[in-house]
Amino acid sequence: MEIEKVKERIMEGRPGFTRQYGPARTDHQPGIPLFPQEATRDFVVVLFLTAIMFFLTAFVTPLLGPPRSPQLSELIVPDWYLLFSWGLLKIADIFPEFTLGAGTPLETQFSAVFWGDILSGIPIIALLLLPFLDRGREARPAKAPIRSAVGLAAIVAIFTSSLYSIREVIWQRWMTPNGSPLIDDTAMKWFFVIPPVLVGLSAYVGLRRLGFKSMRKWLVPLTLGSFLLVAGQSLAILFLPGWLAPQVQPYWVPLALFLLLLSGAAGAAALAVLVLPESRARRAVHLTGIVALLAFAGGLLYLGSTDALALDWVLSVLEPNTNTLLLLPGFAVVTAWFGLRRPYSTYEYLLNECYQCGKCHTVCPVTKVEDDALGGLNLVYNSFKKQHDGVPLWTCLACDACSAVCPLDIKYSDYILEERSKAHARSAADGGEVE
Amino acid sequence: MASGASGSLGEEGRRTVFGWIKTRFPSVPWADLTRKAIETDQRQMPRSHAEKYELKTIWYWYPLYCLGGISFVAFIILTITGIILGFFYVPDGRLMRETTGSLTNPAYLSMQRIMFEVPFGFIIRGLHHWAAHIMIAAVFLHMCRVYFTGAYKKPRELNWLIGVLLLLMTILFGYSGYLLPANNLSEGAANIGINMTRASPLIGDQLARLLWGDINTLSGYYILRWYWIHVFILPFLATGVMIVHMGLVWIQGVAEPH
Repeated sequence: MEIEKVKERIMEGRPGFTRQYGPARTDHQPGIPLFPQEATRDFVVVLFLTAIMFFLTAFVTPLLGPPRSPQLSELIVPDWYLLFSWGLLKIADIFPEFTLGAGTPLETQFSAVFWGDILSGIPIIALLLLPFLDRGREARPAKAPIRSAVGLAAIVAIFTSSLYSIREVIWQRWMTPNGSPLIDDTAMKWFFVIPPVLVGLSAYVGLRRLGFKSMRKWLVPLTLGSFLLVAGQSLAILFLPGWLAPQVQPYWVPLALFLLLLSGAAGAAALAVLVLPESRARRAVHLTGIVALLAFAGGLLYLGSTDALALDWVLSVLEPNTNTLLLLPGFAVVTAWFGLRRPYSTYEYLLNECYQCGKCHTVCPVTKVEDDALGGLNLVYNSFKKQHDGVPLWTCLACDACSAVCPLDIKYSDYILEERSKAHARSAADGGEVE
Repeated sequence: MASGASGSLGEEGRRTVFGWIKTRFPSVPWADLTRKAIETDQRQMPRSHAEKYELKTIWYWYPLYCLGGISFVAFIILTITGIILGFFYVPDGRLMRETTGSLTNPAYLSMQRIMFEVPFGFIIRGLHHWAAHIMIAAVFLHMCRVYFTGAYKKPRELNWLIGVLLLLMTILFGYSGYLLPANNLSEGAANIGINMTRASPLIGDQLARLLWGDINTLSGYYILRWYWIHVFILPFLATGVMIVHMGLVWIQGVAEPH
């Protein structure tokens, strides 16, 4: 009798509504058949790919170059995918060179090339160990902030390593007005390490924020530390004797303005994080970023058009200190912005974890009394798919019983409250009329 | 009358020819068995979690979900163009003098022949070149996708390890490939490689003689060594490992973030 009523009300025939949840459900939508749909799509992709190759062949013909000879006249640059390894080989000269067990059969020379071999082996070993190091369950990049941050840092490291491998080209390409390389070897070596670390930290803060964490504990030391480093170095360059090369002394004023702008940007971000409430801090950081970027670009353009030599000398101070003076203010502003961001529309992202165990439906008190809710209601899943025709949205008690049993810790009532406030905001924006 | 039991001449011929082949190579039962196995057991391609549960917000990963396939397509194109190039390439890097007195070598001369004399030779070489670049880029991006979506986790650890092996093989393919034209890029790259090999402790020079034929590039033996690695050893190993890699994907299904 009762079951008949339930069966009547059940929405089984409708798309997305089922009686069973979990692995036992039988009404899976069929996937795309292999033939002819899938096969046709693959065929088109293959033809498209081949067409791209023909196009590249026709317009970017790989030329042969001169035949090999023992006397190499120019710098040989390997293909792009080996540049990072070459960069590791070149950076290996920071390691001490010594010989172990000299005179014995086990003599081992720790030369720069051998250190380079070891360095090239590290990424391979890291890749092999990865599945045994990271044994967590989480698959989503946004919910695994450490893994994603490390991955982004590694990708940036591949780029900076590749950049370091062509250091000679950079030395020849960018010079100070008196003909020495603009960016010296030490600065380029640090540039191999610093950008990956900064990108990793920034990504970590941003991704944790996506999970609604307050990132203040991270933001305060990061932004304040950046500001103190940049301000300290700026002051040292401007006022300590010996820090500023004598050729740059005449351009002290424009240099001071640029340094003021850079430390000002980092300082404003740090101040906003420290003293302002979150929503205002967010706006302040946003404004700081835009103003600082425009002012920096405008300053470069203005100085370049009025006094090109002054610009060259100012850059000769800024560029070798790229790792601190140029990267850290940007890092402070971007990280503060990520860490203060309102992670909008992530409820949908979180709800999408639902694998339809149906526990929320079992414990929900509303489903016990509400006629419409009998049977096919799977709260989280159906709300996410927007197939609940409004019932769970407006009858939910926000008692949080569903979150308490949810195996994936989905905060359903948070989502409901957010959706309700959105609906009210929408109707207010429409002139207070509902539908 | 013509379409009677006796059938037309063409029909008769077709039946004779295909009948002859089918008697000796009975493909039909096997194809039938495979089709039946697939249709009764799985009914379709294995479906991922996201497909089964119609999840929505992962759409932005989709462009990264065919990179393994793209690298495989590139590998097939590389195989085809590589076979054609093999007809014209001479794996001999020993230095010799041209009539003008400048240095050259048979491998480089054969490359010039491919580029300038063989009909469509430069297209075949260009395809080989660009397919190699696309394959390496696709393999690397494929690895990034697997990393960021956590697709290497249990039960797919083994496939990740096989994939790392394939990544190394792909890079070795690329490296050995640009050693072969015996131009100055080849010379520079070979010098770096020989130095790296010789720097390994204890067996450095022996290893260099094994891999490069010599402890420097003067003799030019390295061209022949790496030619054989490039066209036989690596393809032989890589094809096998690729089959295992893709077989495991078939068995385990595609992992998606959920």
